Amino acid sequence: MRLRLWPYFLRQALANIISNRIVHAIGLGTMVVSLLIFCTFLFLLVNLNVWVGEWGHSLTMSVYLQDGISEAGRGNIESVIRSLPGAQIRRFISKERALTEFRRALGSQLGLLDGLSHNPLPASFELVFNKVEGKKVDARGIKQDLEKVEGVEEVHYSEEWLDRFEGLMKMIRLVGFIIGGLLCMGVLFIVMNTIKLTIYSRKEEIEILKLVGATDWFVKIPFMLEGMIQGIMSGALALLILFLAYLIISTERMHFLDLAVFDFVFIPNEYALLIFLLSVALGLLGSFIAVGRFFKV
Amino acid sequence: MIHLFHLYKNFGPSIALSDVNLRVHEGEFVFISGPSGAGKTTLLRLIFGAERPTSGHILINGINLNRISRLKLDLLRRKIGFVFQDFKLLPAKTVFENVALALEVTGERRSLIRKKTRQSLKLVDLVDKEQAYPLELSGGEQQRVAIARAIVKDPLILLADEPTGNLDPDLTKDIMVLFKSIHMKGATVVIATHSRELLEDTEQGKIFLNRGRIFGEK
Repeated sequence: MRLRLWPYFLRQALANIISNRIVHAIGLGTMVVSLLIFCTFLFLLVNLNVWVGEWGHSLTMSVYLQDGISEAGRGNIESVIRSLPGAQIRRFISKERALTEFRRALGSQLGLLDGLSHNPLPASFELVFNKVEGKKVDARGIKQDLEKVEGVEEVHYSEEWLDRFEGLMKMIRLVGFIIGGLLCMGVLFIVMNTIKLTIYSRKEEIEILKLVGATDWFVKIPFMLEGMIQGIMSGALALLILFLAYLIISTERMHFLDLAVFDFVFIPNEYALLIFLLSVALGLLGSFIAVGRFFKV
Repeated sequence: MIHLFHLYKNFGPSIALSDVNLRVHEGEFVFISGPSGAGKTTLLRLIFGAERPTSGHILINGINLNRISRLKLDLLRRKIGFVFQDFKLLPAKTVFENVALALEVTGERRSLIRKKTRQSLKLVDLVDKEQAYPLELSGGEQQRVAIARAIVKDPLILLADEPTGNLDPDLTKDIMVLFKSIHMKGATVVIATHSRELLEDTEQGKIFLNRGRIFGEK
């Protein structure tokens, strides 16, 4: 196709959009909403991943000791802990201290402990792990190793639920893919129908173009550009709305929640670019299918 | 140039053309005449490739339209000018844009498109109406726009379906002079008409059609 024809194609595509502006506005709005649902899902997924990652940074672990453990035994456990990469002993909690803290925690319900003949709480070490060379701490592995050490009764780590959460994240990702796939099909359907309507509104012109010797591609390209423009506009608008919503959420959080832990992050640039390109590709593909079907008739 | 062999065309049960055999040589000027419903328009549309024959063959410059690809047919149409009976002008485009359309599809330079479109409009005496829209014109003026569009690409073959049907006698003469000048430049011209005046006034070849059959040639 000659290069000098492209300005004509572009003019034609823009003229089509303007003359069928209501159909295009409806199509565009629906596409933006569909893409926005997908973007929001991706945004939440990215943030969940970040939060989970951040919690993994500051893993805390409690190593409960058997009752009646000797000083030597305790020393041995302490040295094992110190040999763990990234591990720091925050404090040692004796049985007595554990009970005192427990009493304090019970507050007004202290009466519950009346009649307790002995201190049932074990002594424990409280550990904090920092990432070593950026690697995530293998909490489950450490727990299993420590529980084999003589004198250790039980090991709990604060992010035990994170393991279960990983499974949930996998599920969310799967649901995301399914929703994303369905929304992509929806977007494709919307573009196809929008372009089909503009083709029908220009049926007479197409017929005349063909009669004066226009090739199929000469007629098809402006419609494909039309679909592509719709893809560009809807992709850009969906990302813009998401970004504005992100800005609002970021500031609102400071006012209402004041939880520094839950800092929102915007989707990475490569994801944004991918969504934009996906939207353009869907616009192009939808219009390609629509014109292809029309020219088969 | 145009060669038709045992051409048949049916529209459902009705027979539009039956066993039409015809040869129009390069540079010939031919009238196809006959009453309404004789098959004149169908014959022109078949030559133009706008319809496919039920059976038989059409050869244009040795190219069999039955065996031509879609793309080659598009390219062949660029060498054929067609003046439609119902004009087929786009109401949303100006007179200039309607005429220029025939060149735009070929990918010509914009400057050349402008120049040739103006020349063509000058030939049909419509330069002063180039910015008007078809619906603002009279039937005769619309007819002339359709002629301007057909001749703007310097066609090798010019097919015209009742091109003077909406014109008064003076304009009819002018348009016929225009067709003859295009013919003088070397184009093969085939005009379908039921106008007896037009046929009596000319010495060109005449083919008579009735009920889809050729029943006479002069």
